[in-house]
Amino acid sequence: MTATNSQGSGRSGFSARILGGGTEPDPRFTLANERTFLAWIRTSLALLAGGVAVEAFMADLFAPELRRTIAVLLLVLALVIGGGSFFRWLNVERAMRHKTPLPLPWIAPVLAAGGALVAAVMVIFVLVRAT
Amino acid sequence: MPLQNNPPTHGDPGLQPERTDLAWGRTTLSMVVAAAIFLRWLPHHGWFVGTLIAAAVVTALAINLTRKRRFHRAIHGIQQENMAPNIASTAAVAVSVVILAVLGIFTVLFLPLT
Repeated sequence: MTATNSQGSGRSGFSARILGGGTEPDPRFTLANERTFLAWIRTSLALLAGGVAVEAFMADLFAPELRRTIAVLLLVLALVIGGGSFFRWLNVERAMRHKTPLPLPWIAPVLAAGGALVAAVMVIFVLVRAT
Repeated sequence: MPLQNNPPTHGDPGLQPERTDLAWGRTTLSMVVAAAIFLRWLPHHGWFVGTLIAAAVVTALAINLTRKRRFHRAIHGIQQENMAPNIASTAAVAVSVVILAVLGIFTVLFLPLT
């Protein structure tokens, strides 16, 4: 049995095509990439839970428009991070198979900007309410 | 003598298969927590949110039921120094999170709290 080949170890043609050829990297790297993907997914799930919680639990505390804005922002962020984490995982996997430099994680700045945006909306609403 | 091969041994001092398995476990836990927060919508939105919660719990359950298989596959991969990436599992999890988020946005925007 050859250690590496372009098809992977008995993968279907579909998977091989998605992964774009190359050779299997060190299995430790494949597992590390999988764990990083799962960490992003948990981030996305936390944002999802946060968004639903704001809409569902803050009815007595927040004005409806604030509640809805924050909830939708968090849920959109969860959507982008959740979907983006898969493509991030796939791009890293492809790069490792071709021994090219790993791509930059564009979901990281998206998460940072999204978090800052949610915080900014909160600050603005608190200031508007205070005056 | 080493213990019976259940689970099989792998000799990776970084314990990569174990760490990956635990990462999957944490992910299912997060998914159940997210589903539990959806419960707050149940009295307002009824069956729609009920389906959403059921979908999340079924996904978490499916991940948990296939954990052992994934763990053994990782151990085998370390032993063989060759492992194909788990594209079906990662895609399935990402798709279910995206579906949950889309339905969550739909609920916030189009189903008013009564």
